[in-house]
Amino acid sequence: MTVNYGLYVPKQSGIHSLHPLTKLAYLGFCLAVSWVIPGTWTPYLVFLLGIVPLSALGQVLPNILSGAFKAVLPFAISLFVVQGFFWPEGTVLQQIGPFSLKEEGLFFAIRGAGRILMAVSTFLLLSYTTRPDELTLALGQLGVPNSIAYVILSTLQIIPRFQTKATTILDAQRSRGLETEGSLRVRARALLPLVLPLLLSSIVDIEERAIALEVRAFGRQGPKTSLLVLHDTPWQRLLRWLLLLAALGVIVWRIYAALAPRFLS
Amino acid sequence: MKNAQRPTPNATPAGPMPITVEDVSFTYPSGTHALRGVSLRIAPGEAMAIVGENGAGKTTLVKHLNGLLKPSQGRVLVGDWDTREHSVAKTAARVGYVFQNPDDQIVERTVGDEVGFGPKQLGRTEAERAADVAAALALVELSDYAKTHPYDLTTAQRKLVTLASVLAMRTPILIFDEPTMGQDARGLALIGGIVERLKGEGRTVLTITHDIDFCAAHFGRVVVMADGQVLADGAAADVLARAELLATTNVEPPQLVRLAQALRLPRAALTVDGFVETLQGSRGAGGQG
Ligand SMILES: Nc1ncnc2c1ncn2[C@@H]1O[C@H](COP(=O)(O)OP(=O)(O)OP(=O)(O)O)[C@@H](O)[C@H]1O
Ligand SMILES: [Mg+2]
Repeated sequence: MTVNYGLYVPKQSGIHSLHPLTKLAYLGFCLAVSWVIPGTWTPYLVFLLGIVPLSALGQVLPNILSGAFKAVLPFAISLFVVQGFFWPEGTVLQQIGPFSLKEEGLFFAIRGAGRILMAVSTFLLLSYTTRPDELTLALGQLGVPNSIAYVILSTLQIIPRFQTKATTILDAQRSRGLETEGSLRVRARALLPLVLPLLLSSIVDIEERAIALEVRAFGRQGPKTSLLVLHDTPWQRLLRWLLLLAALGVIVWRIYAALAPRFLS
Repeated sequence: MKNAQRPTPNATPAGPMPITVEDVSFTYPSGTHALRGVSLRIAPGEAMAIVGENGAGKTTLVKHLNGLLKPSQGRVLVGDWDTREHSVAKTAARVGYVFQNPDDQIVERTVGDEVGFGPKQLGRTEAERAADVAAALALVELSDYAKTHPYDLTTAQRKLVTLASVLAMRTPILIFDEPTMGQDARGLALIGGIVERLKGEGRTVLTITHDIDFCAAHFGRVVVMADGQVLADGAAADVLARAELLATTNVEPPQLVRLAQALRLPRAALTVDGFVETLQGSRGAGGQG
């Protein structure tokens, strides 16, 4: 039997065998740079230089690209519409009927979409290349309480679980005559009867999980012994510290740069 | 525009029809070869059981019969329809499928609505629907629970609700995936009675089951599956008597068959009456000799 590891994509790669905290530190650094350093295109640059090569090394580049595209597209479209056309004032680029596309709004939307792209792709890169149990253990070593680690772990697993559930429910409804194939309108209509059963069965699921955890003494106080051993190396430990410092450095520099003009004038 | 309110124009139940499975192979996206060259012809009105160990491919096979899965190779015909050319929703008017796990199937908030879901999708009128629901609930003896939330029932009762919700669709072909799982003696008798009744009406009844005695009691034809292939296919009395073959896919012959074999009776019987007859026959023969 194969164990369901959520989003995890089992591959033999250097990225997969890195200590989870090393990956976490690296992705945290990338995220800090992309969010904090100004510039419309900064997030995209970080994505190209920081995320894409590592995804390729980890043999999950196609997964990252398609996953990120699907997750970011709806946000990108709504940002573009809302910010591009409803920006209060600015340079008008294009007039479409009563609406005007403004340059400032457009750039704001591009940057916003970039930030979401970074958030999604770092999350996916970590999830695709890290087994959830290893991540939990690593977080535990950091001193993160078990309950918090569990919340993180189940978040990582919830997406594929929801997908499977949704397919199952759709199958049940199709089997009883509900048309779910065909035009967009037909599909949209099929979506509604899907939501309630999905939520209901998820609640039943959560309760069952809670009971399963309880009978396995999840709430027990004190340290726990793990059968899993994480592979770590001195240079990874050093790298983690450097990345952490660099991320902090970028943030501090940005705050300084924002505040300095006021103090100096 | 009247059609817009009627999702599928199949209001009248279709008549009896055969199912043809032609050299079907199926591979899940994960790479599991769940079916390898399965061929079957199921005549209208036939009662057929599929047995075999866990993971043999039974559920995968029956999901092909209503189009939920499409063959990677080969084809499946329901009547004159190739399942690849019709949506699952359309095929649902011909093939009713009760899922293995009831919680995978329930979509409505009351038992009555749940049972009425299928007939509604098939475009039946409100009055027709009410009659379908009442009749189906009566069959599974849950008429008192029409207003109850399905999740407030026991798992065994929920399984009966899913059974009723497919019965209410009045399809010519019915497929049950493990109908007796978790049922007590009363539930077993109830389901057995429903199968007999459907057979009496000339409808095709297919079941997957691990309950070999249930299989022996109600199904004339048995298909044994192992590793995505059909290991044996024939009359229940013949197939279920082949203890060695059944053992290769972890199926135990029915108790009466084992008893007959232990007593070295000339042939196995699937019913108590048949068994007694054979026993008396062989005694009589022995007495004379
Ligand atoms: N959705 C799926 N994705 C990938 N593999 C699957 C899927 N469903 C089933 N399988 C695999 O296909 C094979 C056949 O499974 P199937 O569910 O058809 O067996 P079964 O005979 O119904 O077993 P059971 O008696 O346990 O219900 C098994 O190896 C199973 O692990
Ligand atoms: Mg099954």
